[in-house]
Amino acid sequence: MKEKAFASYHPIILFVYFTVTVFITMFTMNPVLLGISFVGSIAFCGMLIGGKELLKSLAYSVPILIVIALTNPLFSHNGETILFFLNDNPVTAESIWYGVAIAVMIISTYYWFKCYHAVMTSDKFVYLFGRFLPKLALLLSMTLGFIPKLKRRYREINDAQKAMGIYTSRSYVDRMRSKIRVLSILLTWSLENSVDTADSMRARGYGLKGRTSYAIYRWHKRDTIMACLAFALSIGIIWLMFSGYGGFNYYPTLASVDISVLAFILYAGLFILMFLSTVIEIKENVLWRYLRSKI
Amino acid sequence: MKKDIVVVVVIVFIIVVLCCGTKIQSVDDYYLTHIDDITEDSETVFLSIECSTILDNWNDLDTALRYEKYVPSNGIILEKTEYVLRKGDTVYDILSRAVRHNKIQMEYQGANLNAYGSVYIRGINYLYEFSCGPLSGWMYTVNGEFPNYGCSKYKLKDGDVIAWVYTCDLGRDVGCEWISNNKGASK
Repeated sequence: MKEKAFASYHPIILFVYFTVTVFITMFTMNPVLLGISFVGSIAFCGMLIGGKELLKSLAYSVPILIVIALTNPLFSHNGETILFFLNDNPVTAESIWYGVAIAVMIISTYYWFKCYHAVMTSDKFVYLFGRFLPKLALLLSMTLGFIPKLKRRYREINDAQKAMGIYTSRSYVDRMRSKIRVLSILLTWSLENSVDTADSMRARGYGLKGRTSYAIYRWHKRDTIMACLAFALSIGIIWLMFSGYGGFNYYPTLASVDISVLAFILYAGLFILMFLSTVIEIKENVLWRYLRSKI
Repeated sequence: MKKDIVVVVVIVFIIVVLCCGTKIQSVDDYYLTHIDDITEDSETVFLSIECSTILDNWNDLDTALRYEKYVPSNGIILEKTEYVLRKGDTVYDILSRAVRHNKIQMEYQGANLNAYGSVYIRGINYLYEFSCGPLSGWMYTVNGEFPNYGCSKYKLKDGDVIAWVYTCDLGRDVGCEWISNNKGASK
């Protein structure tokens, strides 16, 4: 598989880009901003992992959305539009919308992290932080890589256990217990393995003074252009958000969306920022096809 | 297969218990309550709800709440009204009956959900704790005194006068004295 276009930018740009997108997503409740972030994250993720995989993972996020949207009204009774009373407590439309907004925020953050993981490989992360924060860099790169690693190992253990005949019983209870057994093996293995990794890194002198490491990342001219663009956009967006544009209230009634000129600039800026990665990816794909067709 | 059946039975049982424990009412049904008539020999208490301190701290107020329907211009959400006292009624019982009768929104935290073992009133008429600055919230007085414990622990007697007041300054702006010596416990 060829190197992805956006991933070939300098690691520091990638890191800052993802930090900004995730932070903006987590600090806004405005439906327009959340919607932009949601679509942006899904579009970029789709470019990275392919449409089929994306659809599969989106199918999982629908139940998450429904569960969060329906759980929030059980704990929050604020809001003017009362739908009905559940055990003498009002269930309101506003709190359901609030739940939907939180769910969208969580799902888009999840997708940004999925993209982050595909783009910022752990060697890039350790390259960035290995020198001045060696312990934290190792810890974070191990933590962020854990979920895919666990998935892979789970499959491995499952296959081995299947070959040993654990799923032969037809009873569902027995099957559940087999799953629990697989999970417990997975946990033990992972814990032991992370200790091993740390020991092994230490034995190789990781984080010691004077130790150099090989890096293939160089700062190109396009990195400068990208850095200026993303920096200007991020500063503009954050400044506008801090000055109160694009604010939104869910309680006691849904506020109307901010449609002042500066708010529109905010929406447009965020749109450009969030789709920058996707556009770069698309451009590179088109170029690749075009050049190949000429051979 | 026997185990499966046992598990299914247990799950069905839990669902049935959960369904029996929930009561769903439409809005009209909920507000269709009958309040006890005041007769000559019934014991009564008085209740009022006011938030006039917000009027002095308007700039701290959440922008979504800066409307007449949330903060009345005279600061009075419920005029001093007489309610029948049933045997064993606490301040919370009277409040919940009064807001239901007057269709005033109210949200509380159940007694089992906090360390004080008493119901905590989080918001009345969409005015919540912290809606008007970091030291704001609802407090109550009975006959002009601020009891230092929760509203569902205060047993009322005939003729008591309850006032729910909104503070923007941890009780100091509504005349609560003990809070300056004894930080923390409110409501």
